[in-house]
Amino acid sequence: MGTPCHFALFELQPSFNLDLDQLASRYRELARSVHPDRFADASEREQRLALEQSASLNEAYQTLKSPPKRARYLLALSGGELPLEVTVHDPEFLLQQMELREELEDLQDSADLSGVAAFKRRLKSAQDELNQSFAACWNDAAQRERAERLMRRMQFLDKLTYEVRQLEERLDD
Amino acid sequence: MALLQIAEPGQSPQPHQRRLAVGIDLGTTNSLVAALRSGLSEPLADAEGRVILPSAVRYHADRVEVGESAKLAAATDPLNTVLSVKRLMGRGLSDVKQLGDQLPYRFVGGESHMPFIDTIQGPKSPVEVSADILKVLRQRAEATLGGELVGAVITVPAYFDDAQRQATKDAAKLAGLNVLRLLNEPTAAAVAYGLDQHAEGLVAIYDLGGGTFDISILRLTGGVFEVLATGGDSALGGDDFDHAIAGWIIESAGLSADLDPGAQRNLLQTACAAKEALTNAASVEVAYGDWKAELTRETFNALIEPMVARSLKACRRAVRDSGVELEEVHAVVMVGGSTRVPRVREAVAEAFGREPLTEIDPDQVVAIGAAIQADTLAGNKRDGSELLLLDVIPLSLGLETMGGLMEKVIPRNTTIPVARAQDFTTYKDGQSAMAIHVLQGERELISDCRSLARFELRGIPAMVAGAAKIRVTFQVDADGLLSVSARELGSGVEASIQVKPSYGLTDGEIAKMLKDSFQHANDDKVARVLREQQVDAQRLIEAVQAALEADGERLLDADERMVIDMQVQELAELMKGTDGYAIEQQTKRLSQVTDAFAARRLDSTVKAALAGRNLNEIEE
Repeated sequence: MGTPCHFALFELQPSFNLDLDQLASRYRELARSVHPDRFADASEREQRLALEQSASLNEAYQTLKSPPKRARYLLALSGGELPLEVTVHDPEFLLQQMELREELEDLQDSADLSGVAAFKRRLKSAQDELNQSFAACWNDAAQRERAERLMRRMQFLDKLTYEVRQLEERLDD
Repeated sequence: MALLQIAEPGQSPQPHQRRLAVGIDLGTTNSLVAALRSGLSEPLADAEGRVILPSAVRYHADRVEVGESAKLAAATDPLNTVLSVKRLMGRGLSDVKQLGDQLPYRFVGGESHMPFIDTIQGPKSPVEVSADILKVLRQRAEATLGGELVGAVITVPAYFDDAQRQATKDAAKLAGLNVLRLLNEPTAAAVAYGLDQHAEGLVAIYDLGGGTFDISILRLTGGVFEVLATGGDSALGGDDFDHAIAGWIIESAGLSADLDPGAQRNLLQTACAAKEALTNAASVEVAYGDWKAELTRETFNALIEPMVARSLKACRRAVRDSGVELEEVHAVVMVGGSTRVPRVREAVAEAFGREPLTEIDPDQVVAIGAAIQADTLAGNKRDGSELLLLDVIPLSLGLETMGGLMEKVIPRNTTIPVARAQDFTTYKDGQSAMAIHVLQGERELISDCRSLARFELRGIPAMVAGAAKIRVTFQVDADGLLSVSARELGSGVEASIQVKPSYGLTDGEIAKMLKDSFQHANDDKVARVLREQQVDAQRLIEAVQAALEADGERLLDADERMVIDMQVQELAELMKGTDGYAIEQQTKRLSQVTDAFAARRLDSTVKAALAGRNLNEIEE
């Protein structure tokens, strides 16, 4: 792909289970050496290079920090680029998704704050479970299809988390 | 200036020479300039010993008056005296109309959509008015520090959008300041506190100024200040408290709301004085004309409650956005004069479940932090222990797509600098151009977002609908300023724009203003320009020589080395003379011939840093 591997950048082996504290501390170390603040009085060219380096470092960090993005990146590394949107053949999961969305709408109508908190806890444990399943299978070529399915489920739940946050904001009015 | 300053940790490129740089808090009500002196960051005072410069500008036929005396003239000469100009920065005429009767000025349209204030000196843009404030601060700094400034860090509310940031940078340019960085006000305050207390952990900065409100949540770890989320309201501040009291007076006294500009100013001054008195007193007597009444703190609290509530709502959102729990925030810092209002302190303490910190003067803390960062950016501190500030964009950036919808390309609270691309395609057969409309905001409909810029990608080769692949790249730099480029991937056709906000000054307007100020130039200024050119040239020569000494043998072949040596020689000769233009040209030439060398040096430094021990692993 012409760009250095995100994992190598952070001195890590490609893996789904990451020590996030270690990732963060390596990020801070790298950011220190390439941030444009270090080049505030340098030539325009150096400033531009620092800007580019910094932007790609930030991108790498954001990718590795988020489980769904990290999962997607790992699959792309091991088996080529994945299309961003595909028709998902995962009826069981889609059904569950629809139920969760309906539940969220009910919570909005009833403005049930403790209900939202409980919903968030359930969502979190569903995400943890997905993460574990993905960690166990992504590196096995025979289970590629399953890994991709799990990754898409992770993306769905990620979106749902965002929607919960928007709901909280509306309920805060 | 080209090249260098990639000193190894622990060594400074010019140890003997401290480069003068300042931090400037360009506030709605008050402005300050601060600098690091003998290791201590402190605000600089004027000849009378005052550190606060009221952000008030009065235009006379033949001169400009800035500060306390201008502020006092606001009621007697309201049309030529501009207060709270920050509220107009980067705003369009329609935004200004929303502020409506609050503003006692005559507005006229400019070449851009920006509102100009009609004064005795003719129409003045908010950028020019701000530049007049900045000029006074620059002169104060140069007089106090005894030399020319290398540059300044100017603070802006974290919640300022791209247009407001660009306007601030333009104002600094107009005031002759080299902007080292636009720094978010809450982040600057965090620097002032963090440095003082060697703080670690999660910190919330509640910054309520005269006209703007910011909340930032930061994580402090070993000298790195990482902003996790920011929020706020760029039209909420102490001014609004004054307006609330003024409204109460109008109602209680049975006045007509339709006051002339002078009376309006008087009323606001009365209101502001009452607000300040209520910081220590439980009630205050308010008099306006023959009318008199008692304003209790309780009534005042009720008047401002909706605004306090708005600020707390923004706090909760920022905490949610940062992905932490409220209980994890272990310190809340108060910034801005309006946090002196007892109800504000009380409400913030309740919301965060802890007493907020107020040790550093809330009016000065932003400038103090900015000065610390300015000193680092000017290159005075490069020993590896300098602070690192990782900030975010406050509002999402995106593009207009079919149906008048906003498609987000970079969501709010993304760490900057950031570059992100999104691919689009054509919707008609043979479509040869594509309109790119850049937006900022959180809402889905483009009519609810701020329009930042429009440009067109032309010359797309004829293809069937959906076949072209157009990649639009957004790049936000460390000042939080956006540039956008678009490129058709098949043909390589390209278009790009340094986003010039719809409400900013046009390049033509800036050029004209700069020219006007040059026409007033006297011999002093010519001499000053020459001096600057000589200083720049000297700096470049020193830098090149230091770089040659360090890496010349490793990174240059003999021919390259000879070319550089010759150009250095040439510049050194010219510097002895007084031909400023020739010096400038030769400085540029030397800078050009050393460009490749500089790039090689940076590359090897950056690569080594990025790679750590695993250089092989990250080779492309």
